[in-house]
Amino acid sequence: MTRSRKLVLVLLAALATKAAPAQAICNQSRASQADRDLWNTHGCWEAFFLWQYQAYDMSESDWGGRGWDDACNVNKEYPKHWNAAYLLTYGLQDNLSFSFHGTADYRGTAERWDNAYHDDLYHTATDDTSIFGRWTYHFFGSNEVATSCLLYDPNLSANANPGSRAGDYEHEGWHGWMDEYDWDNGSCGGHRCGPVGNCAASSCDYFYFHGIGAYAFGAMWENDGTANRFHSPNQVQVEFLCDVADFPQGWVPNSVRLAAQADANQRASRRFINGPGYTCGSPRPW
Amino acid sequence: MGLRHFAIAWLLTASSLAQDPGEPPARKKGPPRSTEPAVPRPSDLDKARLESKPPSLAVAAARAAEVARVFIDWAGASNVGQREQVRQLIAEARGNTSVAAAFCDEASRAAESDHSRALLALSILGEMRSPVGEECLRKLLHQPLPEKGTLADGEIVEQTALAMLQAKAVDGLAYLRTARADQEVLWAVTKHPSRIVRAEAIEAYLWNHTDSPEARATLQKHVRPDEAIFLDRIRREPEEKAESFNRRLAAFLKAHPELAPPPPPRAYRKKRSPLPPGDDKPPVR
Repeated sequence: MTRSRKLVLVLLAALATKAAPAQAICNQSRASQADRDLWNTHGCWEAFFLWQYQAYDMSESDWGGRGWDDACNVNKEYPKHWNAAYLLTYGLQDNLSFSFHGTADYRGTAERWDNAYHDDLYHTATDDTSIFGRWTYHFFGSNEVATSCLLYDPNLSANANPGSRAGDYEHEGWHGWMDEYDWDNGSCGGHRCGPVGNCAASSCDYFYFHGIGAYAFGAMWENDGTANRFHSPNQVQVEFLCDVADFPQGWVPNSVRLAAQADANQRASRRFINGPGYTCGSPRPW
Repeated sequence: MGLRHFAIAWLLTASSLAQDPGEPPARKKGPPRSTEPAVPRPSDLDKARLESKPPSLAVAAARAAEVARVFIDWAGASNVGQREQVRQLIAEARGNTSVAAAFCDEASRAAESDHSRALLALSILGEMRSPVGEECLRKLLHQPLPEKGTLADGEIVEQTALAMLQAKAVDGLAYLRTARADQEVLWAVTKHPSRIVRAEAIEAYLWNHTDSPEARATLQKHVRPDEAIFLDRIRREPEEKAESFNRRLAAFLKAHPELAPPPPPRAYRKKRSPLPPGDDKPPVR
């Protein structure tokens, strides 16, 4: 084969790769018990997923082959995505005497619409298992929140449960908040590089401690330009997970709460430079 | 220029355009679909779910494995209002060594395939306070952490997963409140390779000793010097009201001014006017 023919073949292959839609390699055949238990509280609720795909600006281009055409099969990625969105939308008590923040805050952070929390965004899936999730700025159009197979496949990680998945919507959405208000949270994937201080991880945040009731529900986006009124992505994630674990609606299954508590506490113990963050719930086993 | 060169030039241009982020291609519109029958509203399902009866754990050895699996299914689906009922059923099964061993087996099996189920099995085992459970939790606590695996955001995912299970095992050991189990917890405070487990061991030891000054004094002898802050860590317990939590938080921050974060740095300034959150409403549950 001549050199020019080889070059033509390589270029054609590159074009073909670019043009073809990505095929999911993430396992679409199993769901964690926490996912199944939550699923059984709502079943195939069409009215919700027909709202949810718009609220998270999801499309067949990104979720084809991942359960878009099988939206009530909890083993697949898209149904797991809306399962977590269901928890986020309905699963919290919103009690001002107890909760860190309210559903309005968590929805405002996760959903697509340009609002006080972030510019427009849309949700995609990725098979890249070197990340849990990623917020990407796009010069044209909406910014992107990609969630990784690690949040969907129970064979791969502890985070394949609805609380951790929705917690990641919060985390990535908060990078959108950082962008919205022009904060520089660091150069390691939008975090400070670690390990540093009390942070044992490679990407670290500060914890901006605040009391219960310090933010009215719907006011988590507020900041006063100082560390006195501010949140980092990992902090928002931990506070959301704590609210799921400790102050959920009465119907939220215990498997969902336990997984959220375990994720909150492991994250709070080693992701914060000035940590640890709060510990959520009591250490009584049940 | 020959046809071949023209083709190459065209392909080079097309290829570079394909890599150029530029204007994104139009995304396929159209809703997700399902062939399954839809349910009207989830709240209609609540009553039937809550009527599900727990399986009895008072069974002979031959049925222990099966019943343990069914019990984990039921306990996982139970809700916060059923907490005391779950605790009661677990306490009643304390003397059933076959059932305890079955919970242990299920925890080991699920650790490889479903972390949320492994957490459930270990929580039940810890709540049981049985000798069989103690042995199982101790064994898990000393399992070496994997040094290779899936590297995500700088962490080995399998290592974190096991450490989270070991943290749950430490909760169970501390809840035994025996001298022997406490020695394991204190070992974990000092020597466990994962901070996740060390932090939980400190927390569990304090909680199970009612946060007493004696417990703190004991922990001070074991805690790593750079982790002393974990002795003062703020616990958010579900029953505690805002006033009490906020008072404790204020005292904690006063005692540890070194924890005050620096002012957040600016990226670049662009003027924006904040809008209220989007008000598109989801359907009523």
